[in-house]
Amino acid sequence: MSLFIRNYKPNSLATVYNVKIWRLHSTAAESTQKKDENEEEFRVLDILKKKDRIQRKVTRRADIQPDRSDRMAPDQNWGNVWPGPKTFHPSSVPLPLRQGYVPKGQAPPGKKANAELMKVPNFLHLTPPVIKSQCEAIKQYCTEWPNLLNSQEAIEKHYPVEIITSDYCHASPSIRNPLARIVTLRVKLSTLKLDKHARDKFIRLVGDRYDSSTDLVTITADRCPARIQNTDYVNYLLTACFHEAWNVEEWEKDKTEDDMEYYDWNNNASKKSLVNWHLQKKGESKTLTDDEYKSFDVSEIQHADGYKNAVSDWMNSGESEETVKKYAEAVRKLFGLPEKKVV
Amino acid sequence: MANNIRNINKCIPRNSLSYIVPRLLTVQQYREYARPTSFPDFFQNPIFRKEDQAQLIESAELPKIAALPVRPPAVYQTSSAYHDPLVTKVINHVMEMGKKQMARNLVEKAFENIKRSQIERYHLASTPEAKAKIELDPKKILHKAVENAKPLLQLQPIKRGGITYQVPGPITEKRSLFLAIKWLLEATNEKERTVHFPEQFAWELLDAANNTGKVVKRKQDLHRQCEANRAYAHYRWQ
Amino acid sequence: MLSRNWRHLCRRYSQAVNFRTTENSPAQHNDKQEGLFYTINPDLCKQLFAHGGFPRSFMKQTKTFTETAIMVRQPALDLLACIKASDMSQPVIRYVLYGEKGTGKSITLAHLLHYAHEEGFLIVHVPWVSEWLRRVPRHKEMSNSQTHEGFVDLPLDAAAWLIHFKSQNQTLLKSGELKTSKQYVWSKRETTEAGSPLAALVEHGISRVKYACDVVDALIDEIKILSNAKQCKTFVAIDGFNSFFYPLTRLNTPTKRKVKPEEVTLTTSFMKITTNDWNNGAVVVTADQLAFPDDHQESYLPRYLLYKKGFEHLDPFVPIEVGRYSDKEFISCVNYYRDRLWLRGPPEIEAELKFTSASNPYRFMEQCAPL
Repeated sequence: MSLFIRNYKPNSLATVYNVKIWRLHSTAAESTQKKDENEEEFRVLDILKKKDRIQRKVTRRADIQPDRSDRMAPDQNWGNVWPGPKTFHPSSVPLPLRQGYVPKGQAPPGKKANAELMKVPNFLHLTPPVIKSQCEAIKQYCTEWPNLLNSQEAIEKHYPVEIITSDYCHASPSIRNPLARIVTLRVKLSTLKLDKHARDKFIRLVGDRYDSSTDLVTITADRCPARIQNTDYVNYLLTACFHEAWNVEEWEKDKTEDDMEYYDWNNNASKKSLVNWHLQKKGESKTLTDDEYKSFDVSEIQHADGYKNAVSDWMNSGESEETVKKYAEAVRKLFGLPEKKVV
Repeated sequence: MANNIRNINKCIPRNSLSYIVPRLLTVQQYREYARPTSFPDFFQNPIFRKEDQAQLIESAELPKIAALPVRPPAVYQTSSAYHDPLVTKVINHVMEMGKKQMARNLVEKAFENIKRSQIERYHLASTPEAKAKIELDPKKILHKAVENAKPLLQLQPIKRGGITYQVPGPITEKRSLFLAIKWLLEATNEKERTVHFPEQFAWELLDAANNTGKVVKRKQDLHRQCEANRAYAHYRWQ
Repeated sequence: MLSRNWRHLCRRYSQAVNFRTTENSPAQHNDKQEGLFYTINPDLCKQLFAHGGFPRSFMKQTKTFTETAIMVRQPALDLLACIKASDMSQPVIRYVLYGEKGTGKSITLAHLLHYAHEEGFLIVHVPWVSEWLRRVPRHKEMSNSQTHEGFVDLPLDAAAWLIHFKSQNQTLLKSGELKTSKQYVWSKRETTEAGSPLAALVEHGISRVKYACDVVDALIDEIKILSNAKQCKTFVAIDGFNSFFYPLTRLNTPTKRKVKPEEVTLTTSFMKITTNDWNNGAVVVTADQLAFPDDHQESYLPRYLLYKKGFEHLDPFVPIEVGRYSDKEFISCVNYYRDRLWLRGPPEIEAELKFTSASNPYRFMEQCAPL
C-alpha cells in the first residue's frame, strides 16, 4: 500500500512520460496502438519505474592550461615567485609535496587542496640564495665587524654579559608570541671581579641561579609584558646583586670560627695542634699566642701542605670514605709511617 | 578445618575467570592457606626448592606446567640451603600476634643454645665413640624431638546413652604433628619467670630427643589412657 | 664459565685446611699470617682480659670453642708495622680504629694488647668507656669529687679499672722499678711518699675506694712522667673512646642534674693521656657506633663519632679502618668454624652465608649460630 502511494504521489505527468518512453521502446505496443486506436489503452502497472540513465553532458574546455607549477622553468628566480611569507599555495610550489595523516599503508594526500600544508608556517621565502641576495642588499648599511673581536674568547672577554631572547614564527592572526617577552641574562661569575666575601655573598644572594660547575650566573625575567622591560629588569637585578654583595654588615664582624661558611685551616685548632706537635718534636716548649699560631709558616714542616689540604677537604667537602683515606695518607706521610698496603 | 577450606574455595568466583584457562588444565590441589587469597584456584603452588625443580626437569613434567599461572611464593618459601619445613612450622606455632621476626629469633636462639650445650658435651666426651654418638645438629634434634613427641592414638569424647566416653581411635598424621609441637611449647611455657624461652625450649627439645622429659611422659600417658579405654573402642562405629 | 671458576676456587680453598698459624707471638706476625687464626695462651688471656677486653659474644665463643683464637687481620698488621716504624722519642702517635658495627675493632685492639704485653709495654687499657658513662646499673656509685670542684667521681668503676690495670701489668709492677715522682697526700694519715713503687699507689686506690679516682689521675700523671723519662714504654688502648665526647652521659647527680662527660674525673684523666705531649708510647683508640645511643649511629666515620671536640683533641691522628672480611679471610673463617663445629652443612651454605651476612664478621658468626 505504501509503495503505491509513493508512486502516485507526484502528479500524473511523470507517469505519462514514463508511459511514453515505454511506448517508444516497445515495437509490439506500437503495432497494437495502430491496430486499435479507439480501444482503451492498456496501462501497465510500472512499480519500479525503471528510468533510463540520463547521461549528463560533461563540458570540457578544450583550451585548459596545465598547472602553473608544471610550467615553471627550472632556472627561474625563486625569490620572485615567492617574495615574502605567505600561506602555502600548491600551484606556486613546483615540489611533489605530500602531507597528512592516513591509515597505515596509504600514501599521504598530495599538495593540492591540502589543509595540512596550509596550516604549518613555511619558510619558502627564506631560501639560501634569497637570504644571500638580501644580505648583499643590506650590506651597505652595515658597519665593519671590530677586528679585535676575532674569537669567542675575545667576545666573552669584552662582552661578558649575554642576553638571550627568543623570537617566534607564528601562524595565528597575531604575530606576537607571549614567550617572546622572556629574557635570560647569563654572565660568568669570575668576570665580575668580586673579592672572597663579596663572591660568597653574591652566590648566597642569587641562590640556585648560580651553577658552580660552569661558573655561570643565569637570571631569567618574564614578569613584565614587554621584552624591553624584562631586559631592563634583569640588568637591574644583576646590578643590585653586585652592589649588595660588596656591602659588609656590622654584625659580620662578630662571626666566630663556628659560624664560618667554610673551614679555614689556618684559623682552626688543627693548625694549632700541628704547630704544637712540630714544636714538641723539635724539643721547644713554648706557648704561642693565637696570632702567632695563625701566622706560623707551616712550609718548614715536611708534608704539612698535604695534611692541610686533607683536613680542609675533609671539613669542607664532608666526611666520606675517600676524604678519610686521603687524610690517613697525609698523616702517615707527616709522621713518616709506612703506607697502608693495598689489598 | 578441611571443610572450611572447601567452602572458601567455592566463594571465589571461578566462572568469571574460567575463560582464561581451559577447563582441562585446572588441577585440584591441596591448599595450605587458612583464609581466602586473591588468587583463583587454578593458580599452582610455587615450586621453590631447587631439588623439586630438578626433579621436575628430570621427569620432563616441567613443560606441562610451565605455562600455568603460579602464585607468588610466601616469605618463608625460600630456596635457601637451610630451609626446613618443620622449622618454619614450629616458628609459626611459636609466633604470637603475627610477630614472626621475634618468633624466628626465639627459635634460632634455642637452636644456638642446643648447639652450644652439645658442643660442650662433645668436647667433654673422652672417647671418639662417645663423641660420634652426640648429635650436634640442632635441626636434627628438633626433628627427633618432634618424632618422639608424636602420639599414635587419640581419645575422642563420644556420647552414648547419656554418658560421654573417652573413646580411643587412630590419629591423623597432621594432628599428631600438631599435638607434638603444641605439647613441646606447652611444656616450655611451664617455666619460671626468670628462665628465658630459648633456654627452656632448648632443654625440652634435648629431653624429648632423648626420649625423656615432660612431653614424652605426656604422650605415654595418653597411650596408657587409650589402652585402658580400649573397651570403649567399638563406640566409634556403634 | 665464571661461576664454574668461582666454584672451583671455592672448592680449592675449602680443601685447604690451612686456617691456623702456629706463630703465637704477635710481634712476629706479618703478611704471611694474614687471615689465619692464632691462639692465645689461656693463662695470659686470663691475665689480660679477665676484667674485660673482649666483647661478650666473643667471650661466649671462646667458651664454646674451648680456646681463644684471633684472626690476624690487615688493620692489626698495619698498626703493628706503624708502631714498629714510629720513633719512640717523638711525641706519641694517636691511632683511631674505626669501622662498621661488628667488623672487629675490639678484637683488633685485643690483638694489639697482646703485642704490647709481649713487647713489655706498660698497658693502660680501658675495656669499654660506655661502661662508665652510659651504663647505669641499679647501684651506681657516684660522689662529688673532693679534690676537683664541680666534678663527679665514679669510685667503684675507678677501683675496678685499677684492678684491671694491676692484673694486666703484674710483671712490670712486681719488679718495682717504677717509682712515683712526688708525694701524694690523700688525707691526714694517708700519704704516698715520693719514690714509692707504682704498685703501692695502685694498691692504695683499690683498698681505699674513696680515693680511687684521684689515684687514677695521679697514676696517669706518673705514667706520663715515667714514659718521658724512658723508664717504661706505654701502650694506651681505649675502646669506645668516642663515648667521652657525646654531649650527655646517662649519669644523674643526686640533684637530678644530667652529668656531662667532661664533668667526670675519669674523663679528664684519660683525656690527659691521649694528648700528644708525652713520648715513648703509642695510643690506640676506637671510635665505635655502639658507644652511642641508637639515635646517633648514622655514620661510622671518625669525625661524626668523635664530634668536633674529639677530632680537635686527637688531630693529627692516623685513622685505620677495620673492614669486613676479604674473600680469603672469609674462607679461612669458614674453615675455622667448621673445625670448631660451629658451622655444619653442605658447602653451598657458605656462599649463601657470605651474601646474607655481607662478610661482616659478627653477623656471619650470628648467622652460623642456629645452623
